[in-house]
Amino acid sequence: MHRAPSSRAVEPTTRHHRTAFSGPGLRRRLLAALVAIPLALAAAACGDDGGDSAADPNKPVELSIFWWGAEGRAKLTEDALALYTKKHPNVTFKKTWQANQGYFDKLATLTAGGDAPDIFQIDDNYLTEYASRNVTLDLTSYKDGGKLDVSKFPESLVNYGIVDGKMAGVAFGENTQGLVFNKTLLDKFKLPAPTTGMTWADFITWAENVSKTAKVPGTQDPSADYKAFWVWLRQQGKDLYKDKALGFTEQDVAGWFELWKGARDRGATPTADVIHEGNVTDISKQLVVTGKASTSWVWANQMPELKKNTKDELGVVAYPGDPSAQWARASMYFSVFRGSEHKDIAVDVINFLSNDPEAAAVLGTDRGLPSNLDIRKAVSSTVSDANMKVAIQVQTELGAKFGASPQVPLKGHSKVRAELIKAAEEVQFGRQTPAEAAKAYFAIAQAAIGQA
Amino acid sequence: MGITAVPMLLSLYLSFTNYDALSDFSAVEWIGLDNYREMFTADASFWHAVRVTVTFALIAVPLKLAAALGVALLLNRAFRGVGLFRGLFYLPSLLGGSVALAIVWVNMFNRDGAFNSLLGLFGIEGAPWVNDPRFALETLMALAIWQFGAPMVIFLAGLKQIPVELYEAASVDGAGPWRQFRAVTLPMLSPVIFFNLVLETINGFQGFTSAFVLSNGTGGPVDSTLMYTLNLYIKGFTELRMGYASALAWVFLVAIALITVVLFSTGRFWVHYADGEDR
Repeated sequence: MHRAPSSRAVEPTTRHHRTAFSGPGLRRRLLAALVAIPLALAAAACGDDGGDSAADPNKPVELSIFWWGAEGRAKLTEDALALYTKKHPNVTFKKTWQANQGYFDKLATLTAGGDAPDIFQIDDNYLTEYASRNVTLDLTSYKDGGKLDVSKFPESLVNYGIVDGKMAGVAFGENTQGLVFNKTLLDKFKLPAPTTGMTWADFITWAENVSKTAKVPGTQDPSADYKAFWVWLRQQGKDLYKDKALGFTEQDVAGWFELWKGARDRGATPTADVIHEGNVTDISKQLVVTGKASTSWVWANQMPELKKNTKDELGVVAYPGDPSAQWARASMYFSVFRGSEHKDIAVDVINFLSNDPEAAAVLGTDRGLPSNLDIRKAVSSTVSDANMKVAIQVQTELGAKFGASPQVPLKGHSKVRAELIKAAEEVQFGRQTPAEAAKAYFAIAQAAIGQA
Repeated sequence: MGITAVPMLLSLYLSFTNYDALSDFSAVEWIGLDNYREMFTADASFWHAVRVTVTFALIAVPLKLAAALGVALLLNRAFRGVGLFRGLFYLPSLLGGSVALAIVWVNMFNRDGAFNSLLGLFGIEGAPWVNDPRFALETLMALAIWQFGAPMVIFLAGLKQIPVELYEAASVDGAGPWRQFRAVTLPMLSPVIFFNLVLETINGFQGFTSAFVLSNGTGGPVDSTLMYTLNLYIKGFTELRMGYASALAWVFLVAIALITVVLFSTGRFWVHYADGEDR
């Protein structure tokens, strides 16, 4: 199947057209004119906050900051930013936040308009997309100059913010993959809980047994879930990405799909339509919460959010297989817009939020375990919220077994993820064999990351 | 004028580039017709989206108009509470393309939704309509058809305009209700039918909200609800290929214009204007 030729494939023809049309000057001017109009309007609209902020350290400055999350996070973040303003009365914040759904549409739109926020939250699905297009400020010089202190961060977390040698984001919170199970349900039927380190085969047998005994499917089928696929690949000595290419083969995908086809045939999972419900990213629709499966595949820091949606008691272990295939993942980052007029202050704000004990105490573990290990310790010992306590405990336990971090996902990752869902569902609905779906998926994934 | 024309021209320009929304404008490269060429020759999702959209429009639009006309005929008489009924039938279309309505619809047509409970009363086991690639698009069609209120109100207004004498004359000539419908109502109503047809066809092709909500913005399950506009959104925002998405938008614009032209040209054969010479 032929799909989206990579940008690399397009380049030669580009050059060809350039000569064929032989009027780059005219096109440039036309583009410049078209672009200039809205830009001129935008500049006129906010003409007064230009100028160099470094000249006068007490000059009033308003920084825009944008994040996704719920109301609880907004409250914590606003309080932490207020602390910064207290110490630096000339710096105020224009705070914008919204739900995760639609966040990246908004961020892309703002960026396209040349109006990206000075500071924005981002995750590893998009970090490379933004960094490789030069939207994010390279923070390396700030780190080296001591203006951004990441010395207390685990090294893997710092590295997980580096794209093509540039420090594109500051990891703001750590999490890892977590297999969440419904403890209440398992206890009711006197079934054992899954354990960290059990093999995939054992896990599927366990799930089949749960389905038969409890009459609730043992596990959500994770074949559409890139993070489960990723852990599984790492246990086979593969990876999702290697340098600028895919780190797996077509046969690996087929093997993964086969594994779960087998599980479905044995009744370890729900039916395809229910699996599809669970494939949406919305946390409130995870099957372990809606009662349609006994386990779901999530990020460990999502536990408190899951607990909000169910009365049952939940437990969490690592994904099946060798847990050293899991890693300390940056649950999200803060990045600075390269076009920001107040870069230095923006970096200082991120430094403050990451390393100031007072600010960290306010922020807690809402964005994952704090990256700064000293602060993590302090927060863990003082936290009172029961859900947060569990989250910390679980991640600390899992964290002891981590292996090294993989590289940050490549540009095109969002498509690689989306297409995996599609391919897995083709198999789940019985419209394609694992081999067919794997073949189609592999070609699309290669094209998506521009692999020749 | 400038507010419409400038963005439109910019998007036309961008459709010939590799613009990705995030890079500086200095990185935008002219790639000629490559986007259009890819669309027609190499992009399977484009043709798939076209198929889904055309299927949707071909089925949903005629059924919606038929429902609107049928109910308008029933409500075009005087009986107690007719106003209430008109209001009730109009209500769904007031909710329009709202997200809330789409969410309710999705929940109704789940495996354990209200619709299957209803079927259960008759001993029928329903399918997981919205989560099954065989039925997801049909569920969206049903939602579109259910919102027949807007064309219905226009039909009602049209029906009121038909002079009563025509029916009296027809019945004197011995025409029954069916004959009256065919020989009086339909021709007299044809300009209104035409108006509704054009509007609803354009609406049908532009369907986005319900497909977006049902599939969480993915066009799933397995692309079964990948409407053209949803595909355009995915290319632009998920894949950040704004240049390509602009090209998709322009092809869409031209296609809708062509369809409208075709509708107008067929109108000559079946639309009767009361003040025209063909009366």
